[in-house]
This record gives sequence, C-alpha cells and structure tokens, in this order.
Amino acid sequence: MAITTPDILAATQPETVKAVTAKREFPGALVVVEGIDGSGKSTQLYLLKRWLEIGGYRIHFTEWNSSPLVKSATRRGKQRRLLTPTTFSLLHAADFADRCERQILPLLHGGYLVLADRYIYTAFARDAARGCSPHWLRNLYSFAPIPDITFYFRAPLDVAVSRIVAGRPKLKYYEAGMDLGLSLDRAESFRIFQDRILNHYDQMVEADRFVLMDGTARVDKLQKMMREQLAERIDLKRFAPKKKKK
Amino acid sequence: MKRMRPQFATDAPTTPLDVPSNGRRRKAAQGPRNGRGNGVSRFYGTPLPGVNPEELSGNLIVVEGTDGSGRSTQIALLTEWLESEGFAVETMGLRRSFLVGEDIDALLAENAVTRMTLALMYSTDFFDQLERRILPALRSGLIVLADRYIFTLIARAAVRGISRDYLHGIYEIALRPDLTFWLDVRPEVAFDREFKKSQTISYWESGRDMSLSNDLFQSFIRYQSLIKGEFEYLSRRHGFIEIDGEGSVSEVNRRLRKRIASRLGIANTHYKPSHALAHLWP
Repeated sequence: MAITTPDILAATQPETVKAVTAKREFPGALVVVEGIDGSGKSTQLYLLKRWLEIGGYRIHFTEWNSSPLVKSATRRGKQRRLLTPTTFSLLHAADFADRCERQILPLLHGGYLVLADRYIYTAFARDAARGCSPHWLRNLYSFAPIPDITFYFRAPLDVAVSRIVAGRPKLKYYEAGMDLGLSLDRAESFRIFQDRILNHYDQMVEADRFVLMDGTARVDKLQKMMREQLAERIDLKRFAPKKKKK
Repeated sequence: MKRMRPQFATDAPTTPLDVPSNGRRRKAAQGPRNGRGNGVSRFYGTPLPGVNPEELSGNLIVVEGTDGSGRSTQIALLTEWLESEGFAVETMGLRRSFLVGEDIDALLAENAVTRMTLALMYSTDFFDQLERRILPALRSGLIVLADRYIFTLIARAAVRGISRDYLHGIYEIALRPDLTFWLDVRPEVAFDREFKKSQTISYWESGRDMSLSNDLFQSFIRYQSLIKGEFEYLSRRHGFIEIDGEGSVSEVNRRLRKRIASRLGIANTHYKPSHALAHLWP
C-alpha cells in the first residue's frame, strides 16, 4: 500500500471537502452576510437588523471576532506579529467556538433569528488565502450550524478596495496580509490578498448555496431584495412579536 | 511494483492520523515526503503550510502519560543524560506557548470556558510551540523532548464528547514523532502520587467539569480511566512504546534510555543523575 499522505490538490476537490454538518434541531434561524471588505455587506445587514428591530422581531446580531475570552491572545498575537497561518486560523476558530457555544447555539435553541456579520465562510476564504488547506478548514469549523441563508455580497476588487482605502487611514498588518510577503507596500499587499480571498469566496458560491448580491447596486434596491429573500425563505411570523391576550 | 517500506516498531507508517469514518482513504501521495528516505512521512497528512519536511534533521521524542505517570521527572533526567552525551535538547509541553499559554491558565481558572473553545485554545498553544520553537529546533538538528503531545489533547477532548475524527482532522497537519513513549500507570497509583505531590486533587485532573461524581476520589479515578481508555486506543493506532510507569524511576529511565540510545546511535547508555537531580532518583 502506498503512503497515506493525502495529496494537497486532492483536498481542494469539492467531493473530498467535508460538508459542514448541521443538526437542525432548533427553532431559531441563522442569517449570514459574507463578502470581502468594502463589499457593502455590513451596511446591508445593519439595515436588515433595523427593519427587524423596528418591527419588534426576536433577533440577535453577532459579529466576527468579538469574544472577550480570547481577545487578549488575539491582540498580543497581532501586535507582536506572532501568528502563522495555522495559529491565526486556530485562534479565530477558538474565538468563534466560544461565540458559537455560548451565544449563537443557545439563541438558536431559544428561537431567535440570529444575524451574523461574517461567519465560517470568512475563515474558509481568508485562511485558505493564507495557505491553509480547505479540507482542514472545513473540518475545523464542522461544529458550526449551517446558515438558513448566506448572502454573498460581491463587488469588483477595485470598487471594494477603493472603498476601504479611502475610509481608513492605515491598513493593519494582518488585515493587509503583510504576513504573506506579497508586497512591501501595504495598499498593494491588501489588494493582492483581497483578490485571493475573493477567488476563494467565488469558489464557494454553488456548493454553499450563497445568495449572490451585486455589491455595486443601489443601497435601497439591495435592501429591498434582501428583505424579499428573507421573507421568502424564512417564516418570519415565528419571530414576530406575540400579540397580547386581551 | 510494490515498494518496500521498512517497519519501525515505533511507527505506524501506513496509519494516517485520520482514517475517514466512511472507510474511504484520501488519495495518497506518490513518493516519500521526508528527508530520510525511509518512506515514512514526517507528517500524518497535509504538512503544515510552509514547512519543508526535508529540512528537519532533528529527532522528536514524545513522552505521554496521564497525570502522575512520572513524565516530567523522566524528561528532566533524559535532558541531563542527552546533554551529557553531547546532544542539544529543546522541550515542549502543554500551555507553554508564548502566544496563548497564560491565556489558557486564565481560562482554566475561570471555569467559564466551553469544551470546544478550550480544545481549540490548546491546539493553538500546541501549534504555536511547534511552528515557532520546535520546527526551528528540528531544523537545527536538536533533540526535542515533548512532555505530552497531540495524544493527550486528543484524549482529553475525546472523553468530553468531541469526535475523534474531528480531532484527528485538526492534528493531521502535526509532525509525527520519531518515538512515542507511553508511561502507563493505574489511576489509583496516579491518585496516590498526585495527592502526595500537592496534598490535593485539582479540578481539571479529576475531570470535575464532566460531572462524573461528587466524590473527588471517584471522579479522579473515573476521569483518568476514561483518558487511559483513549490512550489504549491511540497506542494501538500509532504504535506507542508502552512502559510500565509504576516501575521505579531508575528502571523506567533505563528503559527509556535504551530505546532512545538505539535510535540516536548512542553506544554508552550508562547514566547516573548529577547532584542537582539526585533527589529524583531514590
């Protein structure tokens, strides 16, 4: 028998990538927005959240990388530039696991509509762009519930990059992918890194059933589409405010 | 043509860390991927990103065993012996990474952490040590003595209900040890030793997060028995060298030295601890 070291390329084939296993044993629903920086996803999720909040729905909003438990480690690793692609990925997975086990899963079991700004696909795209094996990443996050809807906001690289560069005084080291040695110029490195991430996102559209959203369309039109899609795919009545008994 | 592959008693060369549960094995690589020409891959699966296995000329020697199995004592003695034989030694262990070692200590003290988060923090701690300390040491030809390795991490998470497939998937990018020793002791003996050492039994050593028993002794015995069961499984899978950890310090040390000496080509296995370590050697 041959050596059983798997071929790195084989691991990227769709059939060998283990699908994220989900047990739909909860009354809640999970709605996710994904896309590169500057694709407009956060603006749209904010507007969706406001719409649902004003309507009195049972919702909770959660962001990527916000757990206080592992914050000090992440900050130390980033400040001192200690992170490798593997430890960067694992630390964010630990952070996500904490949020998943203590926030997202209890809320889903408690019948909430959970809105997530970035989810596991962010890790799949970004960490694969750093050189982690997609197969390994899929396994790493296999404890996460699969979203009911994943909105993928796609904007051309130039549009997205110009939105970010214009609005931010300085790109951070890891954000710009400086650890990969793509370019000594931070803006250029950011651009190359985002291009890689964009490619990884694009590869997931079909297999992970992303709802593709044109990030260059008008904000109000996108929001209208988003609300329609949401109402079509999720029984929103389940999360509507209960009428008081008279 | 069938390629001949030498069999090391200490290696299970055809066993990847993870055999998928559906029975299908992932496509195998075409040739040896190590710098030793013996056909045994230095990694269980896809190597860590950016690592060239051929550069790793040192040896990785792992000592595994439950709490109270005598690992740390043996590693202190082995370090002195190897240094006296002219080998440079680097060590690793749990929660010793610069990146997250102290953060894990804090998480353990709080008891607020969930099992998956803890398992992933431990894996971060492991890979930070491996990538930033151990691989450079092995590139420089050092002997790395590991006080516990991925097997303890897998066992602890597995008894808490995290699937073995999942854990194997995380650690398949880890480096395969050259030698893995398992110091096997009965939980009752481990209890006596741990109690003697610290006059108490800690929360995590007795697996109290698992609600096995309110009686601390029972909880410790049950928890350590579960861990031992996982080690028995891992030992069969990965060809551990099992050593009776209930033997005397000098006898256990003699057996460890014998196997390490033959691996490293050390002719003289005689060793007597220096004055500094004499207290470990009754």
